[in-house]
Amino acid sequence: MTTLLAAALATLVFCAPGYPGGAGDAQPLIDQFASAAVAASGWPAGSLAAVYDPTEEGGLAKLSSADAVLAFVPYPFFVEHAAQLHLTPLVQADVADIGPQQRWTLVAKSGRVTGPASMAGYTILSVAGYAPDFVRHSALEGWALPPDVKIEATGQILSALRRVAAGEPVAALLDQTQAAALPSLPFATELKAVMQSPELPIAIIAVVDSRVAAGRARALQAGLLKMGHVSGSADSLGPLRLHGFVLPKLPSNTAAP
Amino acid sequence: MTKRFWCGLLMLAVAACATRPRPAPPLQSAQPSSVAALAAAIEVDAKRSDHEPDSRIRGELAAEATRDAEACLSREPQAAACLYGRAVALGLEARAHPTRVGELLSNMLDTLARAESADPNYDEAGPARVRALVLIRAPGWPLGPGDAEAGLAAARRAITLRPLYPPNLLALAEASAKTGDASGARESYVRAHDAALALPAAADRDEWLREADQGLQRK
Repeated sequence: MTTLLAAALATLVFCAPGYPGGAGDAQPLIDQFASAAVAASGWPAGSLAAVYDPTEEGGLAKLSSADAVLAFVPYPFFVEHAAQLHLTPLVQADVADIGPQQRWTLVAKSGRVTGPASMAGYTILSVAGYAPDFVRHSALEGWALPPDVKIEATGQILSALRRVAAGEPVAALLDQTQAAALPSLPFATELKAVMQSPELPIAIIAVVDSRVAAGRARALQAGLLKMGHVSGSADSLGPLRLHGFVLPKLPSNTAAP
Repeated sequence: MTKRFWCGLLMLAVAACATRPRPAPPLQSAQPSSVAALAAAIEVDAKRSDHEPDSRIRGELAAEATRDAEACLSREPQAAACLYGRAVALGLEARAHPTRVGELLSNMLDTLARAESADPNYDEAGPARVRALVLIRAPGWPLGPGDAEAGLAAARRAITLRPLYPPNLLALAEASAKTGDASGARESYVRAHDAALALPAAADRDEWLREADQGLQRK
């Protein structure tokens, strides 16, 4: 009975700060995903609930709850909070049209930024701006930013790029999809990519604070890894634009939980 | 994090909330034929879709609205009522077919621009108001047509034309909030509340008051 109760209380928390949408829009899709993950892993049916929160604060609050056993989070969120939340990565997402990893690109007004030192007084705007450690030490690894550089989160990346093009002391850190679309902007010639990150994971599913027993975690990991190759499971990945999952391949400087 | 993944996860039901239909006219007893009747029929479909939990029925309502919009445009291709109705129908289609939401919302915005050119005052500055809401709520560049600054400009156009219509004030409040102007948003929510209170009691008025109050609570 205790085992059943514990299983029923397990929750997978999705959190994607800076991206559009609300919990209501996401719920049917993440419910479907949780059911498929459970089926693929041999966990008891109905033993994993799923919740979504679009904010960093809300996601952290949900992850602090005792029933939050798993986190599905963007890599910047993982970098920023893995140590605090004791996140142990299980798999990383293999995203349709991108793959399991992506590069981030720092974009500035053409001719203005020639190296990190020339960014004194700048503000870096990014959808990942809520994770300054990620920006400084992962995306811009090797670039020693001046101490007065500010890092701010924005969900309005088009507005940020307009500010860059207008010559404000602002740079934008873009994910791979955004960077690939830069040429579509009418003011693209005003912009220049000045730095690109190494390949970094896109999203991670992690165990929270060892709240899943090792055996169950291994079963879940095996189930997630085969999800992209089993027709029933694959159906739940399509709406999330996922191909499946691969084993975590974290950069060496990622903080240990 | 790539937008493609999370936007796939979170594709907004933007169209349903962006089309803010006027009070539903009585149901048509026969197949509508005039421009006015077709436009009214599309409004009925939009109103029903807004409260319909069954996705299959929402799909049927979208298809019906699309047929009515095409019939309307075949009669008067440049009529604001038909273009506006077509835009509303595209919004319903976007809600019913989320995998095509980007294409459908872009088409919706183009059609609203044509409606605004034909008659900017139609439906209390509806073309600019609905355009504002789509731009504010749709996924932004590069995956969708969302553009908060353009949405704010459209909301201001609606206010210029019909400054006391509560939905226009609510749209301006939402656009102000989205672009980081919290005090402007608060002011517009207060104005929307006051403007709604000045109207005779009706279901729509209650909805506008509720929306204004919710907006003020978020501030």
